[in-house]
This record gives sequence, C-alpha cells and structure tokens, in this order.
Amino acid sequence: MTRRKFIQKITVAGLAIIAGLWWLVRKAAPRRFVRAFGMKKYPGSVKTLPNTYDQSKWSG
Amino acid sequence: MVIKLTVQCELCPKMCLIEPGQSGECRVRINIDGVLRTVVYGYPCSMHDDPIEKKPLFHFLPGSRILSIATAGCNLHCLNCQNWEISQANPEDTPAYPCPPERLVQIAKEKNYSSIAYTYTDPIVYYEYTYDTAKLAREANIRNVLVTAGYINPEPWRKLLEVVDAANIDLKGITEEFYRKVCSATLKPVQEALVLARASGILVEVTNLIIPTLNDKAEQIRELCRWVKVNLGGETPLHFSRFFPQYKMRHLPPTSLKTLDIACEIAMEEGLSYVYIGNIQSEEGENTYCPDCKRLLIERVRYVIRQNHIKDGCCPDCGKEIYGVWR
Repeated sequence: MTRRKFIQKITVAGLAIIAGLWWLVRKAAPRRFVRAFGMKKYPGSVKTLPNTYDQSKWSG
Repeated sequence: MVIKLTVQCELCPKMCLIEPGQSGECRVRINIDGVLRTVVYGYPCSMHDDPIEKKPLFHFLPGSRILSIATAGCNLHCLNCQNWEISQANPEDTPAYPCPPERLVQIAKEKNYSSIAYTYTDPIVYYEYTYDTAKLAREANIRNVLVTAGYINPEPWRKLLEVVDAANIDLKGITEEFYRKVCSATLKPVQEALVLARASGILVEVTNLIIPTLNDKAEQIRELCRWVKVNLGGETPLHFSRFFPQYKMRHLPPTSLKTLDIACEIAMEEGLSYVYIGNIQSEEGENTYCPDCKRLLIERVRYVIRQNHIKDGCCPDCGKEIYGVWR
C-alpha cells in the first residue's frame, strides 16, 4: 500500500467514525419542542358548555 | 439499539426534560412516545364573565366585561397561590369544557364580548390554545388579554405578543431569593418578559402582591418601583395587591392597608404615575388621577366605574395623554 492510499483510508475511517458519533449524539439527545402537539381526548371528565357565564371566584 | 425518547420542553425557563409518559412541571405538557403534547388544548376548566377591572386592568377598556378562561396547570408553584385548586391540579382531576378555539371565539362574538382574557392559572402553560384562539379572535376584531406571571422563554413570548393587546404581568418580588423560595422560579426571565412585552407595544400593567414579612420591606418595594420606572417607564400602571392566607401560606396574616398605602407612597416618590391598591376596599386606591394636573379621571369602587372623565384618551382639563387603550 502506498503512503497516499494509507492516508486516504485513515481519513475515510476517521470521517465515518465522526459521522457515526454525530448520529449517535443526535439520537441520544432529547427532542426539543417549543410548541406542543394537541391530543384527541382530554384526560379528565368533560362537562357541558353553559349558556351563560357568571363572574369567577378565582383571582385574576 | 434503544433510542431514548426523552423530550425537552423549551416553552418556559424551566426547560423540563420529560421522560415518556411523564409531564413537565406544569402537569399539562406530556411526553407521549417521544412527542410533546398538550393535554388541555381546547379544554378550559373555567369560563367566566368578569369585569376587566378584576384582572386587574385599569387602563384597558374600563367598565367592559371580558370572557375569561383558564385550563388546569401552572409552571409556577407559588406557596400563596389564590387559585391553587386549578393551577396546582392534574388535568385528569379537573373537569373541563370542550371548547376549541373556533368555538370560543364564536361564543365571544355571540355574547358581544370585546375581549377574551387568558387568566386564572397561567396562559403560558396552555400556550398553543391561547395563541390559536387569540389569532382567531383578532381576525374577528376581539381583543386578547393575558394575565400571567410572565415565566416564559423569549422566542415563544415574542410570538404570542404578536396576537395580544394587553397583559397584566406579575412582578412577584424583586429578589431571586423570593422567586426561588416562594414561587419555585427565577426573577430574571420575568423581568425579560416584562421588558419585551412593553417594547412590543401592547398595554402592560404590573401587579405586585405584597406578602407580610416576605416582600413588604420599604427598601424592597422601592427597588421594585425603581426597576419598573427604569425598565418599563413611569407610565406603566402598578397594582399593589393585598395578600390573603392561602394554600401553603396560611400562617401569615393578610397585608394591612397601611402597608399598601406606604407602598403607594413609595411608588409615587419613585416617579410612577399610576399606582393602585387591589384586593381591599380603599377610598382612593383604585382611582386614576391625571399625573400632571391631579384631576380625578376615573373613580372606581371595587369593579364598578363610578365616573370616567377621560376624553379621547386625554385628561379633559390639561389635555395630558393618559397611557391606555380607551376604546
């Protein structure tokens, strides 16, 4: 093997390792979200919408 | 190969790392199979007809009624929370109305509300529902009001502010220690949110709940007022609100009227033009006066407007422009 071919092989192998590591890091890192997706169903009980609305007891 | 399905919620400064099947600190943003989902979208647990003064907003359409909604959950866990039954509740334990954004805007239109308030808990945790509804409401000429602790990251905050007309934002204290100990949060992001809101051009009013022994020292109040004056401007209305023993803070007494009066005096000494007292009956603490000629502009008793002399957004005597949205 010539010196040039040896350097080529080392470079290719090095790049493959870097690419693999990058892929692993990306997969292992948590997915980031600002906006969340909706859900089809509410997890609690659902009540009927009223016709009139009163003043709340809550602050704000 | 096993790939982790952890997600990170970047909505608020808590930046929760959420494992599959778990929720963030707010209880309503859940990791389902590696996707962040909001379980309260379109499901408000509270829908009410409130006077705008109750938010409190004193410089935004005074005397108007506002359709006010909230979902379960909150990203803060204030020991003194007055709405803890819904803010610190799990959605599965909190009954809710099925009311997607389109329906909510339709109700507001049918019942002739000029604005919708996203309030009671914190609209930050039902961000997507707030944003989508506010966008539709704006298209229908209905205004949008946030009542919030302002604990949100800058990017989503800027986006939300584009569809909002007014906000009452809490500045709960002026030290990191207070925010850490009482609210399980930090001060800086709230200050950033306040500055961004004011710079965005929406109407901003600030509320500070004064809690005996925790944030009622004259020097703390003075520092808070100075911060508001320097960073938000002297025209920003500031509401000092009375504390009542609630939730995990039942051992402290209610705030005295004297403390609230002193806070008002300090705020005015520091150059704030519109300072109010809330959660308590006071003779003049809810009135608006012209900062220049001191004329009474709006007389309020609790949530009722007794007199409103503001003319085209100005003082009728000296012509001073009064900060606010008046029609």
